[in-house]
Amino acid sequence: MSALLVCPALLLIAVVFGYPMLRYGWLSFHADSVLTGLVPIPNGGANWQRLLGDARFWQDAIQTGRFALLSVGLELLLALAIALLLDQRWRGRGAVRALTLLPWALPTTMMALGWRWIFNTPYGPLEQAAAAIGLPALNLLADPRWAWMATVTADVWKTTPFITLILLAGLQTIPADLFEAFRLEGGRPMQALREITLPLLVPYILLSLLFRLAQAFGVFDLIQVLTGGGPAGSTESLALYAYLNAMRFLDFGYSATVMLGGFLLLTVLIVIVSLVLNATRVINTVEP
Amino acid sequence: MSLGRRLIGGVLALLLITAGIAWSQFRATEVVSILMAAPFADATAPLVERFNQEHRGRIRLSITRGPRDTESISDLAISSLLLGKPPYDALLMDVTWLPKYAEAGWLEPLDPWFSATDQEALQDGARLGNSYQGSLYRWPLVADVGMLYWRTDLMASPPASPEDLVRISREIQAAGKASYGFVWQGRQYEGLSCDFLEVLEGFGGTWLDPSTGQPNLDSSHAIEAANWLRSLIDSDISPKAVTNFAEPESLQAFKAGDAAFMRNWPYAYAELQKPDSAVRGNVAVTTMVSQNGEQPTATLGSWGLSLLSESPHQESAVKAIRYLTSEAAQRERFLKQGYTPTSAELFSDPELVAVSPVLPDVGRALSVAVARPPSPLYAQLSDVVQRSLSSVLTGEQSAEIAMEAAQQNSRVILQSAGGPA
Repeated sequence: MSALLVCPALLLIAVVFGYPMLRYGWLSFHADSVLTGLVPIPNGGANWQRLLGDARFWQDAIQTGRFALLSVGLELLLALAIALLLDQRWRGRGAVRALTLLPWALPTTMMALGWRWIFNTPYGPLEQAAAAIGLPALNLLADPRWAWMATVTADVWKTTPFITLILLAGLQTIPADLFEAFRLEGGRPMQALREITLPLLVPYILLSLLFRLAQAFGVFDLIQVLTGGGPAGSTESLALYAYLNAMRFLDFGYSATVMLGGFLLLTVLIVIVSLVLNATRVINTVEP
Repeated sequence: MSLGRRLIGGVLALLLITAGIAWSQFRATEVVSILMAAPFADATAPLVERFNQEHRGRIRLSITRGPRDTESISDLAISSLLLGKPPYDALLMDVTWLPKYAEAGWLEPLDPWFSATDQEALQDGARLGNSYQGSLYRWPLVADVGMLYWRTDLMASPPASPEDLVRISREIQAAGKASYGFVWQGRQYEGLSCDFLEVLEGFGGTWLDPSTGQPNLDSSHAIEAANWLRSLIDSDISPKAVTNFAEPESLQAFKAGDAAFMRNWPYAYAELQKPDSAVRGNVAVTTMVSQNGEQPTATLGSWGLSLLSESPHQESAVKAIRYLTSEAAQRERFLKQGYTPTSAELFSDPELVAVSPVLPDVGRALSVAVARPPSPLYAQLSDVVQRSLSSVLTGEQSAEIAMEAAQQNSRVILQSAGGPA
């Protein structure tokens, strides 16, 4: 009976996730490009062989990884601070709570256009401010060393509210009498944060971490609008590379391979992150 | 029946008839839609207006202003083509897109409409890059070709060989007349492929082997060519920053009088003659240097109009293409916006030469123009070359290793996409 009840959910997953993945897997062993008349023709492991030696794929993998790790890391720290603040009782808290959600509610392309304007050289407000205090032109979006930081900034601005929301929900599940008892025992506020709040928040932190890592690793729209992958390919993400292979190069077989390759790397990244968290015993603290 | 009623009836009948005629006129008007990058759409607007007046009631030409950026407009066009039933009848196409679009079956051959005589009226280089596998798929709107700009105030005649260029640069730099010898496009992007193709052919090499269609990037000529570009940077003939130069940066340096030579496209000439230019009146153009015994070569740019195979208005669309590419239209675009014409006659036209005395030289460069590899996978092949060259120019890899890698990677790309093994 229980197996029967699970069936609809399994079926749904098979249709919306299983089939596309299998199809991608199948496609990654075929040449399906403008040269084959957009008809799939088996080509053994040629796509995968190409992937292994494709400097652009590996460069994009590193760039996507560093984008995901840094932006999610910063978002977690900021979101924790903001969530703690929003959890306190103070006048106008409701309005501020609603306001902090705004960036999350904006469509990514709109906010990316906004940031492109902010970083614009020489007319954007950032350059104007730099010029006002006598700094030379920053040229952020034109400099391969800095452009990816600009993408991180925009992403942090946009998605911190999402993590804040999850952490705030987590904070509200912590019973107030725990803190009261802690205070009666002579505990100080900072101690309470370390001994009560953070440990009890760990499941929520992990949830948002995994969720956001997967999302950031697949970043596409933000990069496409803000930098288009440039300058010199320094902000190109794996999703953008897969898109280019399909839509610009008309090579759907290799595009599927890039997408699957990215998926495998994401899995590896998540395993590594959870191993690190395990090693630092963060996860163990939630065990009863 | 009273007079009033008759009058009303008459007026109503008249109205109905007029409406009917207007409707049938409206129905008979074919709307031809062409997608162009915004600058071209703007440059074409007056011509479109005149075309529509001349064809009132029969054809209405409507130009869609696409994104400025070459890649973005290609993305837009391809998205609409992949979905089927594109909203356009014709596209303004870059020379490098043609094989990909033609191979995908999106373009209608233009051979029935354009005769051999039409072809012969074109300047030599403007005939290139319009055909794929023996069919004509594009009619050129503007010609474009890579050239070597040189300073008439610093030397009597331009260099012919790489050695000349280095020698003259050294002399000028030693005498303190210019900080740099030669500025070009060394950034990792399409411009680098264009520059390299000219040097590569000038050193006797080819990108693809003409007999097999296979990449030919690990030849001794290709390695020599890459090494020569690298040596320009090492010997300070080109600034270190050239590895991040695209056209605007090269133009900026040359316009400020900081360099003796510049590789650029014809548009740069008008910029160099502006009042704020330090080299105004002291600039001439020639073709890129080549080793003794080798032909000088110029990389072909150019945009042209292609008819989509799914267009239901092919006759009318071709009329519009003919109108927009006519000699009169070319003349107007050259005089107003400086776009290089495609008709051979215009390159020696007194009115045009009076505006730009280098026009005959542009014509000569076009006559030695070579197209980038006409492969549907050109974008990927070019990316591989750009990466390898960039690593040579920035000193990360030796030319031997980098060009060998470019060769291998190009082969793998062709193979994985189902190309010749």
